[in-house]
Amino acid sequence: MHEASIALSLIDVAREVLREHGAARARAVTVRVGQWSSVVPEALEAAFPACAEGTPLEGAHLSIVRVPGVGECPNHGPVELDVTRGLRCPLCDAPTPTLLQGDELELDELELT
Amino acid sequence: MPPRIVTVRQNILKANDHTAAENRAAFRAAGVRAINLVSSPGAGKTALLERTLRDLGSELRLAVAVGDLATENDAARLRQWGAQAEQIVTGTVCHLDAAMVQGVLPRFDLSALDVLLLENVGNLVCPSSYDLGEAARAVLISTTEGEDKPLKYPTMFNTADVVVITKMDLADAVEFDRALCRENIDRARPGVPVIELSSKRGTGLDAWSAFVRGERF
Ligand SMILES: [Zn+2]
Repeated sequence: MHEASIALSLIDVAREVLREHGAARARAVTVRVGQWSSVVPEALEAAFPACAEGTPLEGAHLSIVRVPGVGECPNHGPVELDVTRGLRCPLCDAPTPTLLQGDELELDELELT
Repeated sequence: MPPRIVTVRQNILKANDHTAAENRAAFRAAGVRAINLVSSPGAGKTALLERTLRDLGSELRLAVAVGDLATENDAARLRQWGAQAEQIVTGTVCHLDAAMVQGVLPRFDLSALDVLLLENVGNLVCPSSYDLGEAARAVLISTTEGEDKPLKYPTMFNTADVVVITKMDLADAVEFDRALCRENIDRARPGVPVIELSSKRGTGLDAWSAFVRGERF
C-alpha cells in the first residue's frame, strides 16, 4: 500500500497552501480521487490521521470525493466507465482509450483556521 | 477569524512529477533510454533483465537500478552479467518514486549508457502512481498469474507502453488462456502492444529487444 506516501505528499501540498495564505492550520481537507488513480480511498482515510500528527493538518477532517472514470466512446460520446470492464464503453463495448476523467489525485479544498 | 475555504485543485503528486521531469531531462540530455519495469512479485522481472543483459549486453551499454524492499540479491544477481547494477533500498515503501531514482543517478555515468533499466518493486498497484521520468513503461504479467490480472489492476495496465507476458514456457502446464489474457489486456489498455516471451527458453525475445532499443516491434 502506498497510501501513506500519498498522505504525506498531500500534507506537503497542503502546507504549501497554508504558507501562501498565512494560515496556521487546516481544519478540513477535501481530496478528489479518481477511480483509475490506483489509490484506495479507504486506505488513504486510514493512513491520513497518523501522517498528519504533528503537522498543521493534525486532527483535520479528510473528505474524499470519488471521481468515476469517464471515457469517450466513438458511438455514445462521454460514458461513465465500469472499472471491471476496463476502458470499454459499457453500452457497446467499443474501446475508449482516453480517460476524460477518473485518473485524478488532487487536493481540492482546504478549510483554513 | 472565521474559517476560510480555499480551492486548491492541485495534483497531490506534483513534487514527484517535477522530479520525474528533471530525471527525464537528464536522460534525454545524456541520450539514455530509461525503461520502468513493473509487475507483481515473482512475475520474472529479474529473469528477463538477466536475459536482456546477456542478449544485448554486447550491443548496447546497459545498466540497471533495482528497487527492493531490503535485500540486495537482485542487483548482485544482475552484476554477474557484467553490467552496472545499483540497488535502491525502498525500506517499507512499496514502489520507486522519482526522488529515489534521482538519488541513485550520480552512481551512474549516464553519458556512457544507452539504456537504463529501472526494476520497480514487485507490486501491481503502487508503482502506477509514480512517474520516474522513464521513456517507456513495461508491465510484466506471467502466465502463472491468471488471465484476469489486467482487469483487477487496470490502473497499472493503463499506464503501460508495452505489456509483456512472461513464462510462456509454462503456459500449457498452467492452462494459460492466451486469447482471454490478451482480450483483458486490451480492455485495460486498448491498443497496447503485447509481447509473449520466455526468458528461460529464449522465445519472443526479438520483440523485447526491439522495445529495449526503442525500435518498432
Ligand atoms: Zn458506446
